[in-house]
Amino acid sequence: MEKANISLYQLFVLILLFELGSAILVPLASDAKQDAWLAILFGMAGGLFLFWVHYRLFLYYPELVPPQYMQKLLGKIAGTLLAFCYIILFMYSAARVLRDFGEMLLTFAYLETPLFIVNALLMLVIIYAVSKGIEVVARTGELFFLFIYFLAITGFILILFSGLIDVNNLKPILERGILPVVRVFYTQTLYFPFGEIIVFSMIFPYIANKKKAKKVGLFAIGLSGINLAITMAINIGVLGVDLTARSQFPLLSTIQGIQVAEFLERLDVFFMISTVICIFFKVSIYFYAAVASTAVIFKIKEPSRLTYPMGMVILFMSVTIASSYAEHLKEGLEFVTRYVHPFFLILIPTLLLGIAFLKNRKKKSPQ
Amino acid sequence: MSLFSLSKKIKKLKQLKKQAQQNQQPSKAIPSSLLDQINSIKEKTGNSIDVVIRKLQLGDSKGPDTAVVFVEGISDSKAINDFLIESIMNNHPSPNSRPIYDILFEKVVALGDVKEIKDWDNLYLSLMSGESIILVDGEKRALSASTRGGEQRSIEEPGSQVTVRGPRDGFTESIRTNTALIRRRIQNPDLWLENMKIGSVTKTDVSIMYIKGIAKDEIVEEVRNRLKRIEIDSILESGYIEQLIEDQAFTTFPTLYHTERPDMVAGNLLEGRVAIIVNGTPFVLIAPAVFIQFFQSVEDYYGRADIATALRFLRILIFFISIIAPAAYIAVTTFHQEMIPTQLLVAIAAQREAVPFPALVEALIMEVAFEILREAGIRMPRAVGSAISIVGALVIGQAAVQAGIVSPAMVIIVAITAIANFATPAFAVAISARLIRFGFMFAAATFGFYGIILGVIILAVHLCSLRSFGVPYLTPIAPLIPANLGDTIVRLPMWAQKKRPRLFSNKETRVGDNQKPQPPEGRGMVNDTLEKGDQDEQ
Amino acid sequence: MNNKRILFILVFFVSTLLLSGCWSKKELTDLAIVAALGIDKNEQGRYVGTMQIINPGNVTSGMQGGGGSQGPPISIVTGSGDSIVELSRSTSRKLSRRLYYAHTNLIVISEEIAKEESISTILDPLERDAQFRSTAIIVIAQGSKASDIVKVLTAIDKIPSNKVIKTLKITEKIWGENIAVSIQDAIKMIVSPGKELAVSGFRVNGDVDKGITMENTQQTEPASLLFAGSLGIFKNGKLIQWVDGETARGSVFLLDKLNASAIGVEWEGKDEAISYELIRQKTKVSAKMEKGKPRVSIEVQAEGNIGETKVPIDLNNPHLLLKLEKEIEKEIKKEITMAIKIAQKSKSDIFGFGEALHRTNPKEWGKMASKWNDVYFPEVKTDIVVDAFIRRTGLRNNPHQVNQ
Repeated sequence: MEKANISLYQLFVLILLFELGSAILVPLASDAKQDAWLAILFGMAGGLFLFWVHYRLFLYYPELVPPQYMQKLLGKIAGTLLAFCYIILFMYSAARVLRDFGEMLLTFAYLETPLFIVNALLMLVIIYAVSKGIEVVARTGELFFLFIYFLAITGFILILFSGLIDVNNLKPILERGILPVVRVFYTQTLYFPFGEIIVFSMIFPYIANKKKAKKVGLFAIGLSGINLAITMAINIGVLGVDLTARSQFPLLSTIQGIQVAEFLERLDVFFMISTVICIFFKVSIYFYAAVASTAVIFKIKEPSRLTYPMGMVILFMSVTIASSYAEHLKEGLEFVTRYVHPFFLILIPTLLLGIAFLKNRKKKSPQ
Repeated sequence: MSLFSLSKKIKKLKQLKKQAQQNQQPSKAIPSSLLDQINSIKEKTGNSIDVVIRKLQLGDSKGPDTAVVFVEGISDSKAINDFLIESIMNNHPSPNSRPIYDILFEKVVALGDVKEIKDWDNLYLSLMSGESIILVDGEKRALSASTRGGEQRSIEEPGSQVTVRGPRDGFTESIRTNTALIRRRIQNPDLWLENMKIGSVTKTDVSIMYIKGIAKDEIVEEVRNRLKRIEIDSILESGYIEQLIEDQAFTTFPTLYHTERPDMVAGNLLEGRVAIIVNGTPFVLIAPAVFIQFFQSVEDYYGRADIATALRFLRILIFFISIIAPAAYIAVTTFHQEMIPTQLLVAIAAQREAVPFPALVEALIMEVAFEILREAGIRMPRAVGSAISIVGALVIGQAAVQAGIVSPAMVIIVAITAIANFATPAFAVAISARLIRFGFMFAAATFGFYGIILGVIILAVHLCSLRSFGVPYLTPIAPLIPANLGDTIVRLPMWAQKKRPRLFSNKETRVGDNQKPQPPEGRGMVNDTLEKGDQDEQ
Repeated sequence: MNNKRILFILVFFVSTLLLSGCWSKKELTDLAIVAALGIDKNEQGRYVGTMQIINPGNVTSGMQGGGGSQGPPISIVTGSGDSIVELSRSTSRKLSRRLYYAHTNLIVISEEIAKEESISTILDPLERDAQFRSTAIIVIAQGSKASDIVKVLTAIDKIPSNKVIKTLKITEKIWGENIAVSIQDAIKMIVSPGKELAVSGFRVNGDVDKGITMENTQQTEPASLLFAGSLGIFKNGKLIQWVDGETARGSVFLLDKLNASAIGVEWEGKDEAISYELIRQKTKVSAKMEKGKPRVSIEVQAEGNIGETKVPIDLNNPHLLLKLEKEIEKEIKKEITMAIKIAQKSKSDIFGFGEALHRTNPKEWGKMASKWNDVYFPEVKTDIVVDAFIRRTGLRNNPHQVNQ
């Protein structure tokens, strides 16, 4: 662990940027048709619960990061093994997000550029940032947070003024009952993006004000869920259900529709700018979690030394995990969210909490 | 870490020992014979013509028994004549009284600051700083009287930071004048001044100034330590010090603030900062510096708050324009042609039709040409300056466009960039923007806006990683300190800026409660007091 | 050590920057900015694309000694192929630059293609391509080849595609017989089972061969002129009928796209005696099930002024105005009824009655969706309620009387 201090506001900003990260790009929960926003809100509720689980675990071991308390809870060998699995999961997730981003950029703006180059450039910037430590990443987050929100609100106002939103696209609500929405909830939105909140358990020990962290974290997840739901509702309102589901990047299509005063149009570049920033933070946080866990497991004094080799691994992983975008998406939706995420994002943390509860019951209840 | 740091520690220890030995070395004692003393001085100074040695007779001995030594030019000759030489000559002590040395010390020398010196090192130090040395035959010690003075530039309006409203005095090259200018503004015994001499050859006076109780002790201590560890032959300007004590050596951004304005130094001292004043330069360093400070001008505080806020927004915008404008132009014309409205694109395309270079080369030509012009304009004598601007305007503005080498749009971009750069209030930041701009241009030429945004992220990460004397560079924005946001990009009225910067000052509250102006309440349209005035007029 | 790593990263960065050779870079001088794309079909059944390429030097006049505006502001290139992508690439044999579609704001589709095959086959590449804008406007070349619409030069707007688009948008705003439909709108309507596509046609009159010379723009009355045509009604992506005049305006009313128009009203037996200047209107379409049958109610609220009178009338009298309003309501209702009738006859629900039903009665809609256009829509009963208001009468109250 490095010597760092994260303020509550920084935690809030990081959670928000992380959650919005790549989720705002893709047609999230589009299987729920016009009720996608509802499925996202359900997912958010799940995210709130998961955050509570991680926070609770953290309260049992306020000075330790997950790899350390896993070793305490499960024993040296099993704990290390599990922690190692998480490192791979974090790195894989980072690679996935990076790939999402690279594909996005290649699809709409840089058609002739090799994926590797686009990913490599962003990864190098991320390596640079993470090697400076979590504090610097958090501060950078504060800096860009307002900028992103400014862009988002401006975009929202422009969409509104362009008269693009047709509320009728969102009707009828719950056309086929609540079941399809619930299905989307437990097959998709619960894990992506809300289950991913687990990375923040790597950052908890740095938080200065540990008591208020819960409130801030829950608030951040709530806000990000609402933001995502609003974004998706706008997407559907503008594009309709069919176009939203068929778009690789619905938000991009929505923004492309903006036409105000014959001058404010063709704003895709601003979309690109804000996605680069969001993705930067998402990958950075995943990457940081992977680096910090590795440093803890292998007892490496200077985690920043790990950034370069591990960053390269993520970079190569991002290029090689799939041969096409369709395959990449399929992998993410069919394999990862179905078999990997339920296990690692939900089952294990809950189990760990149970074990921690049993182990600590005899001693003292956490404050 | 272990081996490496151990060897480092050993090195440090050795250094410390060496320093200790140097300090302990006893400097040569002063001989008792006046002749020896004078010869010794002559030898040491190489018979320099400006070292004046005036022998005088005070007692009843036949030959001269005292001598006054001073360096002409850096000492106040009037004081030496009136209060030293004349006083010694007119004073005829009765025989068999107390020793001459004591008489001199207590009765004769009519100057405020008189010290006793016992060794050569201190003697030369005093002599070379403008003090007068009084040697007495038969004494192994000497007197030094403070007669510092000589010709100095008078206090003038600072050239580098001009304001419309605000005091007109600026620092001079003399450290004493400078400290006085600050002290006149903060008349408080808590304004502390610490002096040290830095530079093994130049022995330059360097003072640190702070307000005890407001400045944080850790920061003062840090400044003191960093200054103390300097080992260099000379300090000719505060820039020397800056390079030796800054936190991050490899950055284009200044982590110390420098100013010529005493009111600015006073304001910063009151915020808990520490001033480093160097003799021989009007530029005073201020530490710790934060990024936003470079976008503030003293005038912001003297003028109205709303206008100051608007101006600060403008300055931030200006900074971004001066970094990104040419890069954005390159990105738009070579990568993102879809971004601009069709009409504008067609207009730019029409201009670019005739230009034989790619956009990057075109931009580079213009930018470099402009940098050359600017550099020439600054270094040239004033009289030639206007000639340069004519040549620049004609050759670059007119001829290059007509010859079809650059497009008019590019000229507009370069001009906007240049003016934006001039408008940045702090030169130190403006100049770093100049450099960064080229990096952004290359990034834009290879990856369009993707390159630019990556550059912006790197820039942001870099700025966030900077610290100035332990204080994060982007305070109070990142990390966010809401209580201190009143004096950043926005400038709240004085009564609303209640707190001092939290990270580097102690007493946080600076404005009392309820300081918002409370004019007497009016009754409807009529003001009580004014109404009376109206009646009087009738 | 740290410095070494930074150095390494720096070297990596610089080398990627330099070696990259700027893949996606496109200098302005290498681009042919396509303003409009016209798609026809030739005798062999292959697509023929006509691109209107902007000639920047000739558009911006007054540049550098007024050297511009000598030649035509656009130049035309054609290509043919079995698909849109193919025809686009095939033009490279005739062109020194890369076609750049990001500023293509107009797609002209020939009437032949629109009638014979679904236009959705053409829309797919346009929607898929990253350069194309989904906001580009589609028109159907009515009574001519698409290439003719693209080729003809126009006088006031130098770039003809601008003229077409602006004409459509302006006439939609102040006259209301045409609508500007973007690629995205078109696709949405094609996809939806409860709404069919309606696209404006564009016509060219006069001699096209003269229209493509610069002389066309140098005459007060151009030899060949582009103008907005009728409103095309589609079914399953195929053009089935053109509607004109008041019927077209009724359709635009129903689509709630009308902003302003001028409506002639009968007064005391005289046809078109009073002109009503519509300044804003709002049309609400809602559907419900009644006895197992869908019923659609349409509410129109119109506001406007009196623009012209040909008969003596006391416009100071509010009661008379109320009566006048009734007449206006009748007129609007007539137009809307005509539009509905024609749409029902052609079995194409261009007004989105189906979607309205979908919103209110999703369950019943589910059963009807597949046969909506053919079975249910033609039978839909409609209730039309029009509320028209006369707000002002202009600078004068009563019309002047000729002294007899």
